[in-house]
Amino acid sequence: MSEHTTASDLDAAQDNTVETDTQQQSRENVFPSETAKTTTMSMQAALNLALSETLEDNPKTVIFGEDVGKLGGVFRITDGLQTKFGADRVFDTPLAESGILGMSVGLAMAGFHPIPEVQFDGFAYPAINQIVCQIGRMNYRSRGTMPMPITLRVPSFGGIRAPEHHGESLEALFAHVPGLKVVSPSSPHEAYHLLKHSATRPDPVIFMEPKSRYWQKGEVDLKNAGSVEGSKVVRPGKHLTLVAWGAMVARCLQVAELAAEDGIEIEVLDLRWLKPIDAGGLAASVAKTRRAVVVHEAPRTSGLGAEVAALISEQCFGTLKAPVERITGFDVPYPSGDLEDEYIPNIDRILFGIQRVLEYRRG
Amino acid sequence: MAEISFPLPDLGEGLIEATILEWIVAVGDQVERNQPLVEVETTKSAVELPSPQSGKVLRIHGEAGEKINVGEPLIVFEVPDDTAGIVGTVPEEKAPKRRVRLSAALDDED
Repeated sequence: MSEHTTASDLDAAQDNTVETDTQQQSRENVFPSETAKTTTMSMQAALNLALSETLEDNPKTVIFGEDVGKLGGVFRITDGLQTKFGADRVFDTPLAESGILGMSVGLAMAGFHPIPEVQFDGFAYPAINQIVCQIGRMNYRSRGTMPMPITLRVPSFGGIRAPEHHGESLEALFAHVPGLKVVSPSSPHEAYHLLKHSATRPDPVIFMEPKSRYWQKGEVDLKNAGSVEGSKVVRPGKHLTLVAWGAMVARCLQVAELAAEDGIEIEVLDLRWLKPIDAGGLAASVAKTRRAVVVHEAPRTSGLGAEVAALISEQCFGTLKAPVERITGFDVPYPSGDLEDEYIPNIDRILFGIQRVLEYRRG
Repeated sequence: MAEISFPLPDLGEGLIEATILEWIVAVGDQVERNQPLVEVETTKSAVELPSPQSGKVLRIHGEAGEKINVGEPLIVFEVPDDTAGIVGTVPEEKAPKRRVRLSAALDDED
């Protein structure tokens, strides 16, 4: 990633622009006169650009964590930012997550907007006290006088054959903590806009980056985010709703494509915000399809899929044709890389779940 | 292109150095993950070090007979920018494969 794409570069690259129907529709709704313009980039590049622009826009933004400065991050998300913005604003820390998050609390109190990185999901555990007892509740404790504008970036989920503590899914832990918001982007476009949005909020946001999707490229409309709140239908369908977030969205889109060969039209709902969950978006989709399957990498028991299933059941009980099916990881510690294909929901496991829902008959 | 440096790892419990016996790769070589890079000798044994990743060899540190301390640079790879993640591997984008087919008796409501 030696070159950083800037808005002016993109202005010059109009020839390569492609626009999807969905983007066209959302723009026509919001910006009727705006000219269509997208660019192709990886999620890695989209996140880097979002951070760079955030540092430019807000002088109170600071980025720090393990290896994010000189090295540019183990996934090169912060590549070049220290050179561009200086070591006062983008800097390396000791390998001490509780310190990284504790310092974030102090900086937030002092009026900064810290964007710390915990290098991997499994290394958020040492900072859980700072996240739960300070970041999550300081605003409440101070009667709203001490907001915690912190955007905690956590490379999350599995799929890259990494060692222990490098493939875990902590969304249910984070979502259970009052005072935190939790979001996970599924594509470069979502990554760019959700990160820029999160980094301008007064609330603490846990930003879960699907590390197995860092390198895949996609269309990013830099000018038009579309909605950055709630969930998003990424493929319409009428027979069943597949609910997913992060890296599982891409897999569910593949499943929907395969299901279409069998005559089953699947709607894929990218949940995006895992706290607060878009209950209305879930209800709107399932009210139409009347069947739902939720897919996540995290273990099944007390996973976020249970919350999604409960929300759907509460809102759509009368019209549901089958109980909500959960296709998830297993109730074991995340396995070593050689076994992760067995652990992460694969296409056949998701298809089996869909088949069970399709076959279900009441009574 | 990006550079990734691989420092000499601790090859036993608490070893602090190793002596280069023979380089198996040379500058300019394209190596694959797990391909032997170098034979080194420690106070415990002589071992071949496998490559932690694929890439083009940009620099090697230490001639045969020289000692290198654990943690010091051993070899530097050149890798494409978009594969420069340091932990794990970049997942392959494969066409989806399936064994399960769906069948449903959809009713009028569907």
